[in-house]
Amino acid sequence: MAEITIKGTIRTEFGKGPSRKARRDGLVPAVIYGHGEQPTHISLPAREVGIAIKTANVLLDIDLGSKTELVLPKSIVRNPLKGTLEHIDLVIVRRGEKVIVAVPVHATGEFDRDGILEHVNNTIEVEAEATAIPAFLELDMSGLMAGESKYAADVVLPAGVILVSDPKMTVVHLSVRAAQEEVVAAAPAEGDAAAVAAAPAEGETAKEEKK
Amino acid sequence: MLIPRRVKHRKQHHPSRSGKAKGGTTVAFGDYGIQALEGGYVTNRQIEAARIAMTRHVKRGGKVWINIYPDRPLTKKPAETRMGSGKGSPEWWIANIKPGRVMFEISGVTQEIANEALTRAMHKLPVKCRVVRREEA
Repeated sequence: MAEITIKGTIRTEFGKGPSRKARRDGLVPAVIYGHGEQPTHISLPAREVGIAIKTANVLLDIDLGSKTELVLPKSIVRNPLKGTLEHIDLVIVRRGEKVIVAVPVHATGEFDRDGILEHVNNTIEVEAEATAIPAFLELDMSGLMAGESKYAADVVLPAGVILVSDPKMTVVHLSVRAAQEEVVAAAPAEGDAAAVAAAPAEGETAKEEKK
Repeated sequence: MLIPRRVKHRKQHHPSRSGKAKGGTTVAFGDYGIQALEGGYVTNRQIEAARIAMTRHVKRGGKVWINIYPDRPLTKKPAETRMGSGKGSPEWWIANIKPGRVMFEISGVTQEIANEALTRAMHKLPVKCRVVRREEA
């Protein structure tokens, strides 16, 4: 994957106010860390970074004037409504260094149209050289019938890329199209001890009326 | 209808209405989803109404995901009751929705059908929403 050079400036003011001001001026607050070095707080041009990070695991060459750093985006914070960049964590990498990254998987090929395609896992973790991280991996879906799955082990990896995720991890599943609709509800996060919800509510109401 | 089987405390304070969604802001399972544009309380009845609106439109096939769960009780005092005498009785179960939250997802249908189904579901919800689609990296 090609490196993208972006000019950055070192931040001297921190916190909510200066960060908001930077965002208003078309910049994104970012931090560079890793390899035991002191974190460097920088600001980057939002538009250029926004275009660059459309590619997953893009290798950035940050030019800070006095020095340049080769980095990978570690964490990207976006505004959930506007989609604008709020902050980026960049981790330092060295040429030739092997890194573990999550690479998106693209499903290709014709599959059984009677099934419903479920993306169980959109990415798989692989170990690759920092300068040769694939932008995406392809998973051939041809011949996949309804009710079958494709696993991480089925993803074709380029030379020099090693699978880190569990080979048995399901990447896509082609579920059988039911005669009736199918609904999956999220499981409740909590729910311990005491009280059934509806019944006590009625009891309480009766008590209140007596009063 | 979605309702917790057991709860630790029957009555809770009102959930916070401020802030934006911290997670669940992208389409994770399906191809299209409904994203909340403002905060609000969505009751289990409204979730069920939205689900029915969606599934009745897609008819056969299609898969629907409900990413929210009404795990917070809201209480209400009976009508014409004097103030005091403790907190009212649990009346509703609600999911506290923050702006940006993807509440429902759908897959296995065409874009036109998904758009129509999700629009019908949005009319059942008490918050402003929009249809979003899966982001391919």
